[in-house]
Amino acid sequence: MKRDSKTYTVFFAFLITFVFIFILSILNASTVKQVTDNERLFKVKAILKAFAIDFKDDGEALRLFSEKVEIKQVDEVELYMSSAGDQKLYGIVFRGNGLWSTITGFLAVDEKVERITGLEIISQAETPGLGGRIEESWFKDQFRSERIVNGVIRVKSGSGDFDHENGKVDAITGATQTSKSVEKIINEHLELLRRVLGVN
Amino acid sequence: MNDLSNIAKKNILKENQILIQVLGICSTLAVTNNLRNTLIMAVGVTLVTALSSMTVSIIKDYIPRTIRMMVETLIIAFYVIIVDIILRAYLPEVSKALGPYVGLIITNCIIMGRAEAFAQANKPILSFWDGFTAGLGYTLVLLTVAFIRELLGFGTVFGIRVMPSSFTPWTIMVMAPSAFFVVAILIWIVKSKLIKGSEKK
Repeated sequence: MKRDSKTYTVFFAFLITFVFIFILSILNASTVKQVTDNERLFKVKAILKAFAIDFKDDGEALRLFSEKVEIKQVDEVELYMSSAGDQKLYGIVFRGNGLWSTITGFLAVDEKVERITGLEIISQAETPGLGGRIEESWFKDQFRSERIVNGVIRVKSGSGDFDHENGKVDAITGATQTSKSVEKIINEHLELLRRVLGVN
Repeated sequence: MNDLSNIAKKNILKENQILIQVLGICSTLAVTNNLRNTLIMAVGVTLVTALSSMTVSIIKDYIPRTIRMMVETLIIAFYVIIVDIILRAYLPEVSKALGPYVGLIITNCIIMGRAEAFAQANKPILSFWDGFTAGLGYTLVLLTVAFIRELLGFGTVFGIRVMPSSFTPWTIMVMAPSAFFVVAILIWIVKSKLIKGSEKK
């Protein structure tokens, strides 16, 4: 068979693709468990951080998670509960659309849903360096103990906002759409939290 | 033996992929704001370049000319996905930090460049060595850029504080634009000093 004949080309393309994809599938299947474990650990760490529980390593994180965090099923929503001092904290895993990607994360609030106590991003694939910066601590820390005004928070572009009482946080420059999406996702989930916790 | 050292010299210095050929610039700009991620990215690119060059060289006589580049891309993608799977399973933190850039190794022109320019016409072991040293040249430049950016941007080297606490980090160094300056200055220095002799010939 000639090397440049149509039949050979099709045959070759099929064969080489099949071989490579077959090897990749085997590799992928053999690491699935490891990958899901990693994802679970990442989620556990995000929840602990949002509840402001300190941990040193992976083992301690898993231990503290089972000790200090309770999970309750309310109206098909998984509600996570913890406490800081004598204050009870509640949180949910959120999921919503960013500019390109699905953003998932964890949102923690106080008992009366008056303040956000913590926000962590679990996964996102927004533009690296722009929207992707929602993962950076300066952005997430803005939400820590931010008061919720009129049931919502606002993500505003501006020059630094260190006031935790006005319900406003700074947007990311050059990532207006991602910032807006985060605002929308958080407000929707604040609404959900209010419903689940029965406060208005 | 002579061949090997010639190829190495060419790839690392005289025809450095980034400084002289100006290939693979996107990742040079994107992942160089801290040394750890840069090193892993560079190791990834080096391995992928070496192995895909070798593979292309092994099967080059069987590849139909009409789909040559598609097959090369397939081979490159194959190795990149392996790197991605390994990172996701065993180095999840790094995988998160590098995010989409691991997948983008596929589009790194250096790899395709070596496969097309060298591996198509040479023996597997030579091709492996060629890809490997081209990757080393890339690693060297990337680490230099990352060193400068991390030192000035965070005041650290591999995450260890070296600058005195009175040092104010240059925020611009953490952001992408600074890579343009650093790479441009590096190219300038190398072009004007190190290889002046060879250009005059």
